[in-house]
Order: sequence, then C-alpha cells, then structure tokens
Amino acid sequence: MNSLRIARTALRVRPAAIKAPLQRRGYAEAVSDKIKLSLALPHQSIYKSQDVVQVNIPAESGEMGVLANHVPSIEQLKPGLVEVIEESGGSKQFFLSGGFAIVQPNSELSINAVEGFALEDFSIENVRSQLSEAQKIASGSGSEQDIAEAKIEIEVLESLQSVLK
Amino acid sequence: MAFAWKASGLTYNKYLSVAARVVRRSLKDDKRLAAERRGEMELKFAKWNNGKQGEVKSVADANAAAATEAASHTS
Repeated sequence: MNSLRIARTALRVRPAAIKAPLQRRGYAEAVSDKIKLSLALPHQSIYKSQDVVQVNIPAESGEMGVLANHVPSIEQLKPGLVEVIEESGGSKQFFLSGGFAIVQPNSELSINAVEGFALEDFSIENVRSQLSEAQKIASGSGSEQDIAEAKIEIEVLESLQSVLK
Repeated sequence: MAFAWKASGLTYNKYLSVAARVVRRSLKDDKRLAAERRGEMELKFAKWNNGKQGEVKSVADANAAAATEAASHTS
C-alpha cells in the first residue's frame, strides 16, 4: 500500500520534471564528448585527469578505442602502444610495459602501468640486440624460469620492434 | 585465457617486472641509465630466533629461489 502511494506521487511529480529540460537546453546540460584520462606510472603521472578525445589501448582481449561514455570495464593490457588523441587533434603514442586500464562510468579512464615512454625514447638497436639475446636463451637449455622470462622478453621486444618500424 | 608465463609458474607480479625491465633496457642510453635505477631493489631480511638475528638474506635472491622451487613443484 505504501509503495503504491509512492508510485502515485512519482507519477504526479514526473510531468513537470520532464517538461523543464525539454523546453530549454543550457550549456550545463550538454554532455561532454571528452574522456578524462589519467595515465599513471609508479614514478610519474603522464596525464592527470586531462580531457582527451580518444584513447586506443592494447587490451589482452584485443585492441580497443575508448571514447567518452564508454561502457565501464577493466582491461588487462598487453605490452604495447597506447595512442592518445588529444583535444587539439594531435595524437601522442606511448609504449607501456603492461598494466591495467579501468574505464569508469563517468567518462573517466585510468591507465596504470609499470613503465611507459614516448616512442622516440626507444632505441631500435637496443631492442634488436636484446631480442637476439632473448631468443638464444629461449631456445637454449636454461632453467624453466629463465626460458619463461626470455619468452616474456621476446613478447615485449617483438611488440616494441613492430611499432618502432 | 591461458598465459605462457602462468603455466611456467611465474606470478603476474614477476611477469610485470620482467616486462618493465626489458622496456627500460630498450631505451636510448641517456634515459636508460636513469630508468634502470628504478628497477634495482636491495631489500634485505633476516629471521630472528630466540632473540638472535639469523642470516641476512637479499629479498630478491630469496624470491627467485622460492619461484624456482614453486615451478619445480607444479611441473
């Protein structure tokens, strides 16, 4: 009985509430088409809740582009390239060593990684020499742990090599 | 999802640290030297027994030994 009464009052209240926003639409009601990006490393925050247009992330479940009003989700990141398209239209590319991206309901995106650097900070020579070294270890007769670590290194280096070309 | 590193007994933490280490080593030399300092860990520990300090061990070495032992148990 009590709930019925509440429902009735709600019905009565609603027409006025609906009418008001339909008649006039102010700037404050316009939905922002930007997403607030926080890209944080343990020692530095590259973006601090900054408005950007789009962020492309290498999730374990596949590459994804995140725009404003994205469905909330938590994605584990592969070591790979994160591309940020900024408000000015330019884009910035960072290579992250793997971590997590969290899309929050209010158009906020938090990316956490251990290491992340702009592409121009990498040296292709260092990548190549490490790759051949890691491949030697992976196909060698070291301990199981050494081989597993070498395989991780190969995964990271191959990803790095493909984006540096 | 089956991860290769998981199958060989590594933890996600270890996976992340290996991936971060290799990223740091791939940097241009000036940035690499500054970044590699972040990967160093010199934490030590000792077990106290009957009011006496035991042998002081490095946490990194002890972790590596524990990981190899865990891996040999799973396989």
